[in-house]
Amino acid sequence: MNVVNGVTLRGIEALKVEVEVEMTGGLFAISVVGLPDATVKEARERVRAALRSLGLSVKGRVAVNLAPADIPKEGALIDLPIAIGIAHAMGEVRVARPTIFMGELALDGRVRRVRGAVPAALLARKLGFPLFIPEGNAREVSLVKGVTAWKVGHIRDLFAHLQGSSQLEPITPGEEAEENPEPDPDLSDIKGQAAAKRALEIAAAGHHNVLMTGSPGSGKTLLARALKDILPPLSDEEMMEVLLVRSTVGLPLHSSRQRPFRAIHHTSSTISVCGGGTNLRPGEISLAHRGVLFLDEFTEFRRDLLESLRQPLEDGFIPVSRASGSVTYPARVLLVAACNPCPCGFLGDPQEPCRCSPLAVERYRRKMSGPILDRIDLHVTVPRLTPDELVQFEGQVGENSADVRQRVLRAREVQWRRWGPLGFQCNAELPERALRRQVKIDAEGRRFLKDVAGRVRLSGRGISRVLKVARTIADLAGDEGLTTAHLAEALAFREGGDLPWNR
Amino acid sequence: MAKHIELGAAGEALAARELSRLGYRLVDANVRMRMGELDIIAEEDGEMVVVEVRTRTIGRMLPPEATVGPSKIRKLVRTGTAYMDRIGWEGPWRIDIAAITVGPDGKPALEIFRDITVGIIEP
Repeated sequence: MNVVNGVTLRGIEALKVEVEVEMTGGLFAISVVGLPDATVKEARERVRAALRSLGLSVKGRVAVNLAPADIPKEGALIDLPIAIGIAHAMGEVRVARPTIFMGELALDGRVRRVRGAVPAALLARKLGFPLFIPEGNAREVSLVKGVTAWKVGHIRDLFAHLQGSSQLEPITPGEEAEENPEPDPDLSDIKGQAAAKRALEIAAAGHHNVLMTGSPGSGKTLLARALKDILPPLSDEEMMEVLLVRSTVGLPLHSSRQRPFRAIHHTSSTISVCGGGTNLRPGEISLAHRGVLFLDEFTEFRRDLLESLRQPLEDGFIPVSRASGSVTYPARVLLVAACNPCPCGFLGDPQEPCRCSPLAVERYRRKMSGPILDRIDLHVTVPRLTPDELVQFEGQVGENSADVRQRVLRAREVQWRRWGPLGFQCNAELPERALRRQVKIDAEGRRFLKDVAGRVRLSGRGISRVLKVARTIADLAGDEGLTTAHLAEALAFREGGDLPWNR
Repeated sequence: MAKHIELGAAGEALAARELSRLGYRLVDANVRMRMGELDIIAEEDGEMVVVEVRTRTIGRMLPPEATVGPSKIRKLVRTGTAYMDRIGWEGPWRIDIAAITVGPDGKPALEIFRDITVGIIEP
C-alpha cells in the first residue's frame, strides 16, 4: 500500500495526493507525472539537493507519480512528500502507516513554511492520518483541534524521527485565543455622529449592509473600522473558517476572535477582490469572510467589480471558474460602503458651499444606482462636525463599543431563536415571503406604514427593507411586535431618505 | 603517432590508474561502438560509470573539462545507453569527466567531475 501522501489545494480545501515512486536503473533522472505545475516540476532539483545534504545520493531513473492523475497539483508544498517517497523507495526510511507530509525544501535540507497548512490539518484529521508540517506553520496548525501533527525544521530531523533514532516535537493544541483585543477605534472615541453609530449598531445586530454618505473628513472610515468591534466575537466554527482562508492565502494568523476588517481600494482589480488568477487564490471578499468588507469611495469603483459582488452578497460564497478548474470560496461579509454626497463633497454641508452643477450631482448619483444598492438596507448621512464640536475635549462621551456589542449579541440571540428553525441566521437574510408572513406589526404601525409609503413613494422592495430594519430595531429593544416607533426609525435609514439631494 | 594522440593515450592511462586508486573498479576501456567511443568504463558503489578522459596542455584557451559541450554529452548519453544495453546492465549509471591538465613542467594534474548530467539531460 502506498503510505506517503502530500496535499494540494483546491479552493480552501486540501486534497490528498498520493506520492508513488519507482526507481529503475539508468542514467540519473527524476520525472514527475500527474499534472504537476512548474513549481512541482522544479521540486526535483530541490529534492535531490536536500537528500544529498543528508549524504543520500539518488541514482538511476526515478519516476514520481502524483495520484489522482487528473487533478492539477500546485505549489512547493509537495517537495517534502516527494523526498520522503524517494527515501522510502530506497529503503532509507520506513513509513509504517499512511501519513501526510507537507513542506517546501531548501537546498540545504531545511523545510520552509508553506501556505495551506490549516486545510491540510483538517484533511489529516478527517482521514485520521498523522501530519508532518514545516516549523513555520506550527502555530496555525496548533489551533486545529484533534489532529496528530509534528513540526519539521530540517529534513534530517524528520529522517531521524522516521528511523526511530530521535523524536520530533509534536504540536500541542495552541493556547485558547485571547478573548478580544481593545476595540480600535472605540465608539466612544468618535465624537458626535449619533445617527451613524446607531446605524452601525443596527447593521451589526441584523447583518444589514450599510452605505454612509458624507463630506470628506467626516469620519466615515473611522466609523467603518469601529463596526468590527461591535460585531459579536467569532464562534469556534467561524474562527476556523477565517483561519482556513488566511492559511490558504498564506497570510500570518492572529488568533483573536475579532472579526476581519478588509478595506479595498477603488482601483482594485476584480480578481484581487473576488479571487481567481492563474493559480486560484481567494480574494479580499473571502478574506473578509465573517467580517466587514469596506468599500471607500464607493462611486469610484468600476462597474464590473460592483456587479461581481452582487451574487456573493446574496449567497455568502463566491464560485470562481477557470480553465484549471472551478472552486468555491466563502464570502459571507457585512458590506460597508462610503461615498461623498457629490463630486466636490460638500453638498448639504452647513459651512462649505457645494460647487457642483446639478447635472454633475445627477451624474454622480447615477453611478451609484444599480442592483448593488438593492442589497444595502441602511443608508445614513455622516455630517461633518462643527469646529465647536471638534475642539470640545471634555464633556459627554458616547457609549463604548463593549456596551453596544452586548446589545448586539442579545439581538442576535433573539434572531437565532426565532429564525433558526426556519433556516436563517439574521433579519437581513429573510426572503420576502417569510418577511410578510412572520413579521408582526400592530394596527397603528400598519396604518402609519401605509400612510408613509404612499407619501414618499416607497416601492415594494423598499417596504421589505424597511420591515427588515424595523425588525432588527425591535430586536435590539427586545420588543416582540413592530410598532410605529420602530418603523419610523427604520424609515429614516431607507434609501434616499436622508440624503442631501432629497431635502 | 601524432603528438596529440600520444598525449591522449598517456592521459587515459593516467586516469585509469588514478581512478582505481580512488576506488573505481575498472571494467573496460576504449570501447568502440557504432556511435562513438567510450574511454573508460568503471564501477563504483554499485553504479556503473562512463568516464570521458580529456587531456590538455596548459596554456590553451579552454580548460579540458570545458571542451565537453552539449553535443558531446548527448553523444556520451547515447553511446553509454547502448553500451549498458549490450552488457545487460540494468542498474543505475552515470557519466564522469576526468580532466587532465599537463603543466609547463610536464607534470599532469587530474580532476574528476562526477555525474555531469545531474538529471538535466534526458537520454
